[in-house]
Amino acid sequence: MVTVDGVSFLGLKADGGAVKLLDGISFAAKAGEITAIIGPSGGGKSTLIRLINRLTDPSAGRITIGGTDIATMDPLELRRLVALVPQKPFMFEGTVLDNLQMPFRYRHVPPPAAQSAEVTEVLALARLDRDLLERDARSLSLGQQQRVGVARALITKPQVLLLDEPTSALDRRTSDELAATLREICHGRKLTMIMVTHDLRLTGKVADYCFYLEAGRILEQGRAAELLAHPASVELKRFLSEPSDQEV
Amino acid sequence: MDNQGLVNLGILDLVVAYALVLVAVGLAKLKRIGQEAQMLWASLRMVFQLLAVGYLLHFIFAVQHPLPVLAILLVMGGFSLQVIGARIKRKMPRFYQVVGTALLVGCGGVTFVFCSLVVHYSPWYDPRYLIPLAGMIIGNSMNGASLAAERLGAEMRERREEIETALCLGASARQAAKPALRNAFRAAIMPTANTMAAMGIVSLPGMMTGQILSGTEPMVAVRYQVAIMCAITGAVAITAYLIVMQGYRRYFTKAQQLEPW
Repeated sequence: MVTVDGVSFLGLKADGGAVKLLDGISFAAKAGEITAIIGPSGGGKSTLIRLINRLTDPSAGRITIGGTDIATMDPLELRRLVALVPQKPFMFEGTVLDNLQMPFRYRHVPPPAAQSAEVTEVLALARLDRDLLERDARSLSLGQQQRVGVARALITKPQVLLLDEPTSALDRRTSDELAATLREICHGRKLTMIMVTHDLRLTGKVADYCFYLEAGRILEQGRAAELLAHPASVELKRFLSEPSDQEV
Repeated sequence: MDNQGLVNLGILDLVVAYALVLVAVGLAKLKRIGQEAQMLWASLRMVFQLLAVGYLLHFIFAVQHPLPVLAILLVMGGFSLQVIGARIKRKMPRFYQVVGTALLVGCGGVTFVFCSLVVHYSPWYDPRYLIPLAGMIIGNSMNGASLAAERLGAEMRERREEIETALCLGASARQAAKPALRNAFRAAIMPTANTMAAMGIVSLPGMMTGQILSGTEPMVAVRYQVAIMCAITGAVAITAYLIVMQGYRRYFTKAQQLEPW
């Protein structure tokens, strides 16, 4: 379980001044559930998930994983438990297989071979053809790269998976397939999954819990189905009624 | 010609040589290139700077004391640090500490080893040897250091996305920055490697040419040139390595996060 307790974050403005990007955020994301963070662009969603695997540290508040304050953990150990898939995953030079093996090389453990159970499993989970393994990862389409990013994050079996707009470059069919997979992995492996998304259709399909973040503050939260069906705040009602913001 | 076979240049000889600069200035003016003033200014600066250095060296050679020699080396090192700082617009955090230490260790260490174990002259501070040898080592290391620091900064900025992806996958700061470190080190040592590869075919090196002109046997001059090139390569590599290995840490926090710069 991931708990975020009173977290604030000050960012730097272009003129060097400080601006509050997150303000007193508190929530808990349970193992075996998908928690979706929805809200307009620039509201602090991506910043929030960067704090959870310590790509940056909060200005105030604390984040725990399994009861342990992440500020007391070795950042390398933490990032091996908490995988983050950015919106446009960077592909390292080399083949798709090289990319899937990268996390093992960083850990100084022998990487799995193309025919290994680990590679086979993540290829299936990310809906990737085995033929792609020997392809130059940078020559793939953005949608394929996004799925390689998910596979690369899952291959080391993290306990927490953070996803930033995981389906933004996918067509509707592939997006639905990946959504079903994410749900299956999350429930099957008892993974704690936190997903930042604009895609309300995806949220409705996969999220168990959801909160609405705007201007660095959580304005509303609850069970996803309930929240999307019966929004209480004016801001969320407005957000849900703006079709251009719902799918990117 | 003196009794060692060395042709001394008189004032008139220098005037004739300087006339070649005036030819260049005249051509620039004729073709309206617009660089006449700069060329004249640069050539006059060159003459006065070299005359000043000549008198200073003449004085130091006469005094034969370690303090003025060390002071000269210190000024050379400080000036090279200032030149590197002026060349690089976007400096790494704690730039002068990183580059200054690297120059001190790289150039100081190699100069010490080279003078004491290779050339082994006496006394150790003999300005006739120490100043030109250290000067060549510092001058070349300055270029290497400048390239290493500049390239490292550019690589760290350009590869931010790649570095953060590697950190997300459990890489240490060093593992994440490895491609940037490799490229910065390569950029720093490449000019020295190219110079060595072309030496003797494309150009005759300055030190060797100077020694031959001053009457030294060509094979003795060649041995000196080989030795100094080895020392320069060592100094450039050590200085660049230290800048790269100490410099990349300045871009990360203790929690192995990229600094927001």
